[in-house]
Amino acid sequence: MELTDRELWTLIHGMGLGAVFLLAFGGGLASLWSLRSKLVTEEGLAERTPRLLIGTTVMAVVSWLTVIVGAWVVYPWYRAAPPEGLDLAVQSDALREFPRYWLLAGEKTAEWHKFGMEWKEHVAFLAPFLATAVAVAVLYYGAQLAHRGDIRRALLIFFTLAFAAAGIAGLFGALITKAAPVA
Amino acid sequence: MQSSSTVQTKPNGPVAAVFLAAGIGSFVLGLFVVLNEVSTDISNFLKFDANYGLGSGVGPLSGKAILGILAFLVSWLVLGLLFRGREVRFGPILTIALILVAAGFLLTFPPVFEIFLPKEA
Repeated sequence: MELTDRELWTLIHGMGLGAVFLLAFGGGLASLWSLRSKLVTEEGLAERTPRLLIGTTVMAVVSWLTVIVGAWVVYPWYRAAPPEGLDLAVQSDALREFPRYWLLAGEKTAEWHKFGMEWKEHVAFLAPFLATAVAVAVLYYGAQLAHRGDIRRALLIFFTLAFAAAGIAGLFGALITKAAPVA
Repeated sequence: MQSSSTVQTKPNGPVAAVFLAAGIGSFVLGLFVVLNEVSTDISNFLKFDANYGLGSGVGPLSGKAILGILAFLVSWLVLGLLFRGREVRFGPILTIALILVAAGFLLTFPPVFEIFLPKEA
């Protein structure tokens, strides 16, 4: 049982950081939703706020790490060009080492690149912007968020959009890896 | 426990700044996704990995991502200074931020940015 460097980095990018992101989102969303002055006492706020701060900060940091590792470590392996002379129209074993070109060589698989990867590689970068905005707001207001319904509602929207962006990227990442692994 | 309306909270300026900056970063990223399709010259310029040694084999994604990130950080800094210590009208700022984020989502969606592909002769 052995993992190549590429498999290890793909695992870190998708399952490691991705799983932490999902966990942080679940915890953060529940904490944000219930952080209302009419629902919790001052003691409750003091107990929940650090957890919310940790959840949102982890989500922001992990989203940055995920896109940086994805774009600058894993993606170059995905889009590496095959040597000259290799037939780009046939899904041969030799072409399998070049996932982008292997996908494009097949009529049934080309859309995984043209639609899936093209959307994934770009939309993923929205997640760290949105998650950072949420983490900064939580860090700035802390327990006072319970008294700022306008900000809390905006945070819920941004938090959900960050999750949507990361979710689209994660889903297509998993499906594309299944169709043409970077290994 | 005091009601929400009577509790004094910090001014919302710094939060408004980062929300708007996130919208600007999203929109700028989407804009460069489209510009990359429109012009070969822009696409070549966006290869920051080859042009400036920022990574290897990333291609135009390196430029699109770095310019989007720069737009986010610079606008956050500028707006942060502008809104510092101020209570601003949060509703309109959130609306603008959401419109920019929605534009970012749309412009990164392949059926949308492919509309801007140059027509073949």
